[in-house]
Amino acid sequence: MALDTHNAASPFEQQLIEQIQQAKTEQSKIQIIGHGSKVPIDHQVEHLSLKEHSGIIQYDPAELVITVKSGTPLAELNAVLAQNNQMLGFEPPEYGNSTIGGTYACALTGPSFPFRGRLRDYILGSKVIDGRGHLMQFGGKMIKNVAGYDVSRMLCGSKGSLAVVTELSMKVLPKIEETTYCIEMPEGEAILLMNQMQGTALPISACAYYQGRFYYRVAGEHPKQDNRVEVNLCTNDIWQTLNPFKPDLQQGQKLWRLDVESTNPAIENTIAVSMGGSRRWVASENKPNHPYVTLWDQRFLPRNNDKPCVKRIKSGLKKVFDPHGIFKDL
Amino acid sequence: MALIEALEKAIGKDNVLSSEEACRPYECDALSAYRQKPLAVALPENVDQVRQVLKLCKQYQTPVITRGSGTGLAGGTLPQADSVILGLAKLNQILQIDPLQRTAIVQPGVRNITISEAAAKYNLYYAPDPSSQIACSIGGNVAENSGGVHCLKYGLTVHNVTSITVLDMDGDPIIFDEKDDGIDLLALMNGSEGLLGVIVEIKLKLLPKPEAAQLVMAAFNSVDQCADAVTSVLKQGIIPAGLEMMDQFAIQAAEDFAQVGYPTDAAALLLCEVDGSHDQVQVDSQRVADILSANGAHQIQVSQNESQRLALWQGRKNAFPAVGRYSPDYYCMDGTIPRSQLAYVLQKISQLSNKYGLRVANVFHAGDGNLHPLILYDANKPGELEQTEKFGAEILRLCVDVGGTITGEHGVGVEKLDSMCHQYSDAELEVFHGIKKVFDNTGLLNPGKAVPTLHRCAELGHMHVHNNQLPHPELERF
Ligand SMILES: Cc1cc2nc3c(=O)[nH]c(=O)nc-3n(C[C@H](O)[C@H](O)[C@@H](O)COP(=O)(O)OP(=O)(O)OC[C@H]3O[C@@H](n4cnc5c(N)ncnc54)[C@H](O)[C@@H]3O)c2cc1C
Ligand SMILES: Cc1cc2nc3c(=O)[nH]c(=O)nc-3n(C[C@H](O)[C@H](O)[C@H](O)COP(=O)(O)OP(=O)(O)OC[C@H]3O[C@@H](n4cnc5c(N)ncnc54)[C@H](O)[C@@H]3O)c2cc1C
Repeated sequence: MALDTHNAASPFEQQLIEQIQQAKTEQSKIQIIGHGSKVPIDHQVEHLSLKEHSGIIQYDPAELVITVKSGTPLAELNAVLAQNNQMLGFEPPEYGNSTIGGTYACALTGPSFPFRGRLRDYILGSKVIDGRGHLMQFGGKMIKNVAGYDVSRMLCGSKGSLAVVTELSMKVLPKIEETTYCIEMPEGEAILLMNQMQGTALPISACAYYQGRFYYRVAGEHPKQDNRVEVNLCTNDIWQTLNPFKPDLQQGQKLWRLDVESTNPAIENTIAVSMGGSRRWVASENKPNHPYVTLWDQRFLPRNNDKPCVKRIKSGLKKVFDPHGIFKDL
Repeated sequence: MALIEALEKAIGKDNVLSSEEACRPYECDALSAYRQKPLAVALPENVDQVRQVLKLCKQYQTPVITRGSGTGLAGGTLPQADSVILGLAKLNQILQIDPLQRTAIVQPGVRNITISEAAAKYNLYYAPDPSSQIACSIGGNVAENSGGVHCLKYGLTVHNVTSITVLDMDGDPIIFDEKDDGIDLLALMNGSEGLLGVIVEIKLKLLPKPEAAQLVMAAFNSVDQCADAVTSVLKQGIIPAGLEMMDQFAIQAAEDFAQVGYPTDAAALLLCEVDGSHDQVQVDSQRVADILSANGAHQIQVSQNESQRLALWQGRKNAFPAVGRYSPDYYCMDGTIPRSQLAYVLQKISQLSNKYGLRVANVFHAGDGNLHPLILYDANKPGELEQTEKFGAEILRLCVDVGGTITGEHGVGVEKLDSMCHQYSDAELEVFHGIKKVFDNTGLLNPGKAVPTLHRCAELGHMHVHNNQLPHPELERF
């Protein structure tokens, strides 16, 4: 029977299970930490660190799938893929030391999101340990798999509150040559133009507006762009500047991340537009009045704008995965 | 029946069916081997009526089985005798297409193909294209997370849905949007097989139509060679828009049926489509042809125009009915495997075919490892259906054992409940049951589908006993 070995725990996983079971007995709390690159470390609770849990488990470039331990640094993962002329499809931000597990737990995706999809779109399966200390696998290594609820995609964004992720399988993409162009124009016009261009057959892979310029990146073979005088060829550096976006702010200003419809007109105090128009970065003292706003200040503040029915579902799921409330909630 | 009367009063007599004859079309979905007349069929005309049906069913503690077009292949809409079928076919309006934002807001009963037809005037389309797209509903697609020929490049349904509105068993609406923070409930709803809520509105991504597409057809003398060629294409950085493979039986059947010029002497046929900008397609189709011939294809044809391309697809698109002509019945399986296991699995299937004395044709999505073995049988021969089902279950077991899964696109429904016991452990199944309870603590939404009870797995002998401790000792065992 295949399943008897299916959930066999490695010595490291066994250690995590014991730590969780002990916390259950002692009724203590645990904070899951990747590289701790951004999460504020809570010294009042126990830590469960995945830093040492690093490495590629299985990678066959022809399958377009890679399986890794969750503590693997993004830099290492990117390097291994690059050697095979492949890449992560979701262009995660690299804060220096970020782990793939932390990136998954935060559901972080880069500028190609409107074109190639976001992190969860590339997740095929995960191995996790829940708050009962059960080691489980959801999904698999297949691009198509609809057996059972899609728990491995659901856990994207769970920020260490439901389960420890120990392994991840992801779809990867061939690396493709990309070229960036830019045009100087006002923000409102740029928002319109980027939406219009996304509706054409031009193979765009990123669109943004920053410091008076509309930037767009085109993948692979494409029609000549600089036949219009105002179009300039640029380097691809702009995408690193915007991902992760770390602008210099004035005294008292805070950085806010707004998720909007891509056609949303220009929003006051915007300092950058990314993700093809669907993300706006606003620098202001007060929280912008918008439905999907996150304070982006190196601290994990949940938005807390869930409607009561969604809150009920989320707290219900917390009880399913972590019935004893061991994992630190955000 | 008090419930039937209450339903008639709430949504109108014309929208409620209960006679034997009127209910017959709702006795099964496309997996017609399982049938059961429901208590009644409710066919609401709007979301408010859906809400009323749910409220009444909750009041009368009656199971509700949501149904789109009934094209499901896993018995996902199989009624129970005491249940109400909630048919959403009348909720068939496209509410909005926003060409600038490239989105469509639709009701669940809209047929998949209708969306692309409506978007065509803006040069946009909806990418996921299950073969059943002229009939299946978009609500059913979300509930099944359906995929099609194009999904290797353009993703499954889950990748193309940006927001949905769901009614819970109380009839209350909940919106799940891609912009939501925290755990991804929108992803969870995709593929939840009607167990977590009734989807009443969907917002979809529309994509610009590719400028050009070209199809490369290649014939191989062996299945292994063909499988290796698939691997080479992907390894060399080309993601085809479609990558389909057929074995000799399927080639012969398709050619007899559609006469498109498939080489019937080939052991395996590969259809590889590339799409994108004119420039890219030109480069890619040439590269694909080169890679395939370097991998031993003995005949290669590249479509020279649109009508040739569509003609070459005709054989593949009609492969199922074509194979169906050789036998009174056929059973279409659906499992996925790593591509590297293709040759091994096909060889095993052929051994199983001998063991059971039943013929098999293989047609599959080679790009994503999704197999569709068609087992030919005769339902009128006593015992042959049971043999076929056993054969099918062995194929699924094989898929799991080589690292794959029991369903790539058809879902679990009632058909694959037992196979779920092979793929998942008790701890995982318990989590699934826990999730169901959070969304539907009445257990009235599509009961008995998609996730087997631990009890059922125990009966099958697939129980996992760790440290000699029985999970759920309180449950009765058979
Ligand atoms: C709401 C939010 C705000 C952010 N704000 C900023 C910001 O202002 N500036 C900035 O530069 N970056 C910010 N980030 C980015 C983010 O913190 C990092 O990029 C992340 O990828 C760090 O990876 P790490 O391995 O260091 O994770 P950590 O910082 O160690 O952990 C990040 C989160 O993931 C969880 N986690 C980590 N590994 C696992 C695992 N294996 N299994 C389960 N859970 C795990 C942790 O419990 C924690 O909740 C923010 C992220 C979010 C979601
Ligand atoms: C010839 C043929 C070819 C096929 N090819 C493919 C293929 O290529 N790819 C593929 O993925 N599938 C394929 N299928 C299977 C089937 O068409 C898909 O699963 C489709 O998504 C089902 O849609 P439907 O509207 O017919 O759903 P139904 O069969 O009516 O329902 C399917 C499931 O979804 C649930 N459901 C339906 N609507 C809703 C709703 N609004 N809210 C909540 N739950 C709901 C039902 O309860 C049931 O569990 C094929 C079927 C046939 C007959």
